[in-house]
Amino acid sequence: MIKKSTFLLAALYSVVSIAQTSNVDLPNVSAVAVTNAVGLPQSSASVTVVRGPYLQSGTPTSVVVKWRTDIATQSVVHYGKTLKSLSKKASNTALTTEHEVSLSGLSPNTKYYFNIGNRSEVLSKSDSGEMYIITAPTAGTKQFVRAWILGDAGTANNNQRDVRDAYYDYVDDAPQNKGKTDMMLFLGDNAYGSGTDEEYQNALFDIYDEMLKKSVAWSCLGNHDGKSADSATQSGPYYDIFTFPTNAQAGGTASGTEAYYSFDYANIHFIILDSHHTSREVGGAMYNWTQADIQNTKQDWIVTLFHHPIYTKGSHDSDTEDRLIEMRQNFMPMMEANGVDLILNGHSHSYERSYFLNGHYGFANTFNQDEISKGGHTVGSNGFGDGKADSNGAYQKTSAAAEGAVYITTGSAGKISGGDLNHQAMSVSLNQLGSCVMEVEDDGRGGQNLTVKFLRENDDIEDYFTINKSGIALKAEGTASGLISGGLLYDDNKEVVKLKLDKNDRLKKVNIYNNIGELVKKSRKESINVGKLSKGLYIIEVITKNKGYTESITIE
Amino acid sequence: MIKRILCILLFLSLSMPIFAHGDLTIRIAEKTIEISEDPNNFELYYQRGLLYQQHMEYDYALEDYLKSQSLGNTNKALHYQIAEVHFLTEEYSEASKSIDSYLEVDSMDLSAKKLQAQIHFNLKSYKKSLEGYRYVIHNMKDIRPEDVLEYCNIMLTENNKNYKGALGAIQFGLDQLGPHTISLQLKKLDYLRDSGQTEKALEQYNYFILEYNRNEFWYYKKAKYLAEINRPHEAFISLKLASVAIEQLNAKFKNMSPVIELKEQIKSLESSINNQKS
Repeated sequence: MIKKSTFLLAALYSVVSIAQTSNVDLPNVSAVAVTNAVGLPQSSASVTVVRGPYLQSGTPTSVVVKWRTDIATQSVVHYGKTLKSLSKKASNTALTTEHEVSLSGLSPNTKYYFNIGNRSEVLSKSDSGEMYIITAPTAGTKQFVRAWILGDAGTANNNQRDVRDAYYDYVDDAPQNKGKTDMMLFLGDNAYGSGTDEEYQNALFDIYDEMLKKSVAWSCLGNHDGKSADSATQSGPYYDIFTFPTNAQAGGTASGTEAYYSFDYANIHFIILDSHHTSREVGGAMYNWTQADIQNTKQDWIVTLFHHPIYTKGSHDSDTEDRLIEMRQNFMPMMEANGVDLILNGHSHSYERSYFLNGHYGFANTFNQDEISKGGHTVGSNGFGDGKADSNGAYQKTSAAAEGAVYITTGSAGKISGGDLNHQAMSVSLNQLGSCVMEVEDDGRGGQNLTVKFLRENDDIEDYFTINKSGIALKAEGTASGLISGGLLYDDNKEVVKLKLDKNDRLKKVNIYNNIGELVKKSRKESINVGKLSKGLYIIEVITKNKGYTESITIE
Repeated sequence: MIKRILCILLFLSLSMPIFAHGDLTIRIAEKTIEISEDPNNFELYYQRGLLYQQHMEYDYALEDYLKSQSLGNTNKALHYQIAEVHFLTEEYSEASKSIDSYLEVDSMDLSAKKLQAQIHFNLKSYKKSLEGYRYVIHNMKDIRPEDVLEYCNIMLTENNKNYKGALGAIQFGLDQLGPHTISLQLKKLDYLRDSGQTEKALEQYNYFILEYNRNEFWYYKKAKYLAEINRPHEAFISLKLASVAIEQLNAKFKNMSPVIELKEQIKSLESSINNQKS
């Protein structure tokens, strides 16, 4: 009876959907050692690596290497810039099966090969050089960046593998930067049904083993991960498996928690939020952190990711579900006002991609396709277009503009679950399997293009769009060292500030204040030596017989 | 048999529009089928209760938990879930009874101790709440900024003059979580201001100014505070620093609405300070 009923239930809901979530082809954990060794030399050691290695919390000068062994042993990573000379070593002597080694003092934007083991032997290596770390570029660097974006991937079935293989094909055949994947961005629900350790083994480590050895993985918490993980205590498989920066080690602002955090990569600032467990209230700890973080970045691009989608009419509905509504109404006005460019979400098992938007915080039926200057929700003359450079044209965002962002709900890296797929703010809505590729590159005119492609499991690129940002990294104006203002000349060679007074005026006094407003120097002379002042911004208050005014200098 | 199947189909078709949680909808329906096959199995009611709770259908969840209990489920986890549902539905007295039952079985469980402290807080038993939360904060392996903030809130509700205690708790949090944890540093500033520790509050503004890449907002906030405590000249210098910091921003940031609003606020405060002076 149960079987028959279940069959009917499956037929009613969706034969396809249920079939995709079946676990018939789950590899079991005991087979991991074999899976791990594919393509790599077998180790004859008695200790076996059963998970990883995988890379976490990459910065320009450091990375965390993690792995698991079947027997507790020490943790050793040998690494170096050439495969044949892994002359450097980082280690932990404590005996453990859960290994975590931090490599520090690395050079930015540099490739390091590595192997892992214990004090007596190497347990996992790649003679063909497929285990490596490429450190992040220094923050602000303008260069090509590629991120692989995976939403709701964790089914551990052939759908997930097909989506993975399509990306591997794509990156292997990429016209430029072949084989380069700077990071993996997981949008949550990385391991169905409850994000247990075993499910993570099946759906993350066994599936992406090859990529996890050479590309840093970042993630936000999904609702299924949240079934076994507890953000209140930051415990459970999700928090044990991932190591994220809590103290701004990778740039950004310290959140003090792995539930939400940020990092810089090249000239992109990534903000990762927890839309599941953590309070989404305005004025809550996560909101305050996000505001401080986004108002503290000077990066050219801002990308945010969290699990619950701002806009969707897929297997979830952003008009009726509280988390989705709260993220949209509470977080997006603040994030849009501070220049967010791209919002990546999962949860609905479909691909839905918006127009170039600003200010749409209501229900789907309140979307207005007009330009924002006409009271609508799209930005620019082609904001209601498809964003394709070879069609309606790339979305345009000058370096002087904050408005304009694309929202992507991409939760079909493991299964598709249909839905109405008719959200008015979406340019494209597809019930198809796939993952996304984000690529940032020079536009050849002093700006950059941020292009996202939706790559289907059959290798087709079903959707793509570009945000073009012109005049990136233009120098700010302002009162830099050596500039003459109306009443002041700063000669940085002679370390002297000279005041220019009107003929009929007479200097009474000059006060110099440092960058926290402390009075650091007084004078009654028109020429003031500032050689002993440390670097930084200063306000110079000038009081004459006829007037009082202020100037500023920056000593560099 | 046909009738039963039709009932299930009817249930599903009616429930589809109500539930919007995809997989959860199916799982609840599957569990309902299992219950119909084995109606005296308390574990099944408990499991369906968990699903309803995830779906925020708290009344149904409680109904299932109580049914599970009536069928003989004495598991401590059931007490916790009943307590949590009562707490979520603001039935704090009932929540208190259930969490007490749980803690009789496992008195050291930190999640339960935390829930108990939260229940006590809502029952206005602030001393008990504070005592319980103190235990949690000092024994939890991985505290979060939110835990520290909640602890401080309980502390100040229990005694609205206990800023010394609250600032001590913030410092404990900073020691545990990292010295730059922003939500704790922000709350530290609030407490220093609220407790009238002006010099320390100004030092805290300076901390933000020196620590962050962009400090235009902090210069303004400091200026506003200086004006409030009647130190107009220092406020004036801080406003000048805010204006210069804005000028030094890239065009993109200058054109963002928060910065445009900030410029207006600077202008307004400057004018108010000038009026004060004259």
